[in-house]
Amino acid sequence: MQLTRLDTPAAAATAAAATAAAARAAPPSAISPVRRRLMAASCALLSAGGARSHAADVTGVVNDLVQNVSVDSALAYYHEDGRIQAVEPIVNVAKTFANGDALNLDFTFDSLSGSSPNGALPSHGIQTFSSPSGKPQHRYTTAPGELPADPNYSDTRVAVAANWSMPLTRVTQMSVGAKVSGEDDFYSVTLNASLAHDFNDKNTTVSGGVYNEFDSIKPIGGAPQAGSDYAAVLKTGDKTKDGVGVLLGVTQVLTREWLSEFNLSVDRFHGYLNDPYKFTSVLDSTGATTGYRYESRPDQRTRKSAYWENRVAIAQESAALSLRYMTDDWGVRSDTAQLHVRFNMADGGRYIEPTVRYYRQTAADFYTPWIVGTAAGAGGYESSDERLGAFHALTYGIKYAQKVDNLGPFASSEFNVRLEYYEQIRNNPSTALSSLQGLDLYPGLKAVLVQFGWRF
Amino acid sequence: MTANSAAPLERPLSIEARGEGLLAVCFQAMASPCEVLLPAANRADARQIGALVAHEAWRVETKYSRYRDDSVVSWIHRHRGAPLVIDAETAALLDFAEHCFEVSDGMFDITSGVLRRAWRFDGSDRLPDDAAIADLLPFVGFGKLQWKSPVLTLQPGMELDFGGIGKEYAVDCAYSLVAARWNIPFLINFGGDLRASRAPPSGAWNVGVERPDSDHAAGTVLELELGALATSGDSHRYLLKNGTRYGHILDPRTGWPVPNSPRSVTVAASSCTEAGLLSTLALLRGAGAEAFLAELGTRYWLNR
Repeated sequence: MQLTRLDTPAAAATAAAATAAAARAAPPSAISPVRRRLMAASCALLSAGGARSHAADVTGVVNDLVQNVSVDSALAYYHEDGRIQAVEPIVNVAKTFANGDALNLDFTFDSLSGSSPNGALPSHGIQTFSSPSGKPQHRYTTAPGELPADPNYSDTRVAVAANWSMPLTRVTQMSVGAKVSGEDDFYSVTLNASLAHDFNDKNTTVSGGVYNEFDSIKPIGGAPQAGSDYAAVLKTGDKTKDGVGVLLGVTQVLTREWLSEFNLSVDRFHGYLNDPYKFTSVLDSTGATTGYRYESRPDQRTRKSAYWENRVAIAQESAALSLRYMTDDWGVRSDTAQLHVRFNMADGGRYIEPTVRYYRQTAADFYTPWIVGTAAGAGGYESSDERLGAFHALTYGIKYAQKVDNLGPFASSEFNVRLEYYEQIRNNPSTALSSLQGLDLYPGLKAVLVQFGWRF
Repeated sequence: MTANSAAPLERPLSIEARGEGLLAVCFQAMASPCEVLLPAANRADARQIGALVAHEAWRVETKYSRYRDDSVVSWIHRHRGAPLVIDAETAALLDFAEHCFEVSDGMFDITSGVLRRAWRFDGSDRLPDDAAIADLLPFVGFGKLQWKSPVLTLQPGMELDFGGIGKEYAVDCAYSLVAARWNIPFLINFGGDLRASRAPPSGAWNVGVERPDSDHAAGTVLELELGALATSGDSHRYLLKNGTRYGHILDPRTGWPVPNSPRSVTVAASSCTEAGLLSTLALLRGAGAEAFLAELGTRYWLNR
C-alpha cells in the first residue's frame, strides 16, 4: 500500500531515522509470545520453499469416490528356513470426507503353511506325535536330532479393521475403530477409541486411547487340560480370553527438522492364554525323553511398555530411530531398537530406505525347555514355547520405492519392493544331562520377507 | 480435475544506474512498483537477478490474484462446497493464515475480504448500513473453513484473500531464490515491503517511508542493514464522516473499521512475512498499537 523509495545507500547517521515519528528499539531479549509464535509460523511457511509451484497445477477436487480415496496395497511372502511360509495380501483404503472425517479400512488375508515346532526337545531317538486333530493320517515322526515340529500346520486368517476419525474442534480429534479377525481356530474382536488434542500452535499433540479385545479360541481337537499328560489326551471345549489396554502419548515438534513421539501403554489379558498345541518334553534323570506334558500358563498377563521415536530430516534425507521397552508380570522384558534411514534421489521420485532392527528378550519365569521327572515350573506353571524363552534377533531390510505419475486414472502412484532378513539367536545352555549331549537344543530361526507394494 | 497452469505474466523490466555503483532493476507487480537494489553487481548479473525476482513476483501474483480466472484463489472460489486437495505451497499459506488467525484472536482473517462488498474506501462519507454488514458476517471467519491440510472446503458465500500476506510472502520467496545463488548485498522491495541480504558497502540501506498525509514523497527515512521491513497503513483508503476517519483496516468480528487505528505502522523483522504480519496486527490493535509494538522486541515506526 505504502510507496517506499530507496535512494542511493548513503553513509549512516542521517538525522532522519531519529526523527521518525515513533522509532524505538526494544531490548532484543524481550520477545513477546505473539512474536515468537509468528516467527515460528513464518519460518514454517518460508521453509516450505521447495513446494513453490505455478498456478493451480497440483490441485484436485475431492468430490467423488475415487478422488478422495487412497489405496495402499501390498503382497508379502514370508519364508522361515525349514518352518513356516506365509503369503499375505494387505489392502489399506483411506477416504477423507468433506467435513474432515476420515475412514480407514484394512483388509488382511494370511495363508500359512509348513511345520510348526510343537515345544518338544530334539532327542537321540525317533519321536512320534499325533496331530491335534487326532486323525491317524496326520501322525508324524521326528528324526533323531531334529526339532519336533508338526509338518501339517496350516492356517488362514482374514482380518478387517475399520477406523473412523473425526475432528471435534480444530485442535481435537476423536477416533473410534473395530477390528475383526478369524482363523480356523481363533476369532477376535477388538474395539478402540482415542482422543488427540493439539496445542502449542499444533507443535504438541497429546493423545489417549483405550481398547478392549475379546477372543474366542476353538483349538482343533479341543483345548488340552493345562499341565496334563500328552498321552492321556484330556481335552476340553472352547476357551475365551479378553484384554483391555490404555495408551497415552505425546508428540512434540522440537524443531522444523525434528519430531519426537513418546508413548506409554499398559494392557492386561485375562482368560485362556495357553498355546493349545504346545507341550514340553518330560525327561528322566539321564535326559532321555519319557513323555510330554501340555503347557500351563497363568490366566493373566499384564504388560507395560514405553516407546520413544525420533524422526529427523537432514537435508534431503530423513531418519527415524525408535526404542521400545516392554515388561510384563510373567518375567519377560524386551528391548527393541529400530533405525530407518530414507535416502531420497535427486529427482524426488525415488527413494531407498535401509532398516536395521535389534530385539532381545528375557525368558518368562515359568519358561522351561524341559521337565525332569514330575517337577513343575515356577508357580506351578510351565511352558517350553520358544517365544517365551530368552533370545535376541536382528533384522536387516531395504526398501526401494518409485513414484509413477499419470498411470491410468491415477495422478500419482508409488511402487515399492521391500526385502528383509531376520535372524534369531538363542544361546545353547550347557546341561549335565547325558542324553542331551550332542543335540542342538535351540536351533535359531532365519527368515526372509519379500513384499511388493503399490500405493495410489 | 486439474486446473491448467496459468500463463506467466510478462512485463517490462528496466535497469537504472543510481550512482555510486548502485543498480536498480525495476518492474511492476501486485499493483506496486517493485525493485531490486544491487550496489555491488555488474549489469549482466543485475539483469539475471532482476529477471529471477520479477518472475517470482509475477508467479506469486498470478497464483494468488483474486482478479485472474486461472489463479488458485479463483479455482477455490469456483469449487465452493467441494473438498479440494490443495497444493503444498497454498497449504503452507493456509496453515500460516490459520496461525495468524489464532494468534490474533480472530482479527487477522483471510476470509474477511467479503466485507469489501459493503465497504468502499474512496475517501467519501458513504458508510455502509449495519444491515449490509450483518448480512456479510456469516461468511467471515477462518474457523468456518474446513481446513485440514491438504483438504480444504470453502463454504458457499465465503472468499479467500491472500492479499494481506501475498506481497510480503513474495518478497521472501524472491529473497530466498537470490540468496541461494548470489553472495552479494541486495535489497528486494515490492511496494514498500522489503528485505535486504546484508548491508551495502556504504554501511546501511536508507529506506524512505511515505508520510501518510503526503503523496508519494518519502516522508521518513529509515536505516536498515539487513532483515526485512514491512509497512501497513491506510493513507489513501478511508472514509470520513462527521469528522471521524474510518480506516480500511476492518475488524472481521464486527465488520467495522478498527477504531483509533494508526495511519501506518512499519516493523522490522527477520523475514518480510513476519514483519508484514506484525505491522498488520499492530493496526488491528487500534489504540493499543503502541503497547503491542513495544512488547515485540523489534524496531518499529508508527504514524498516527
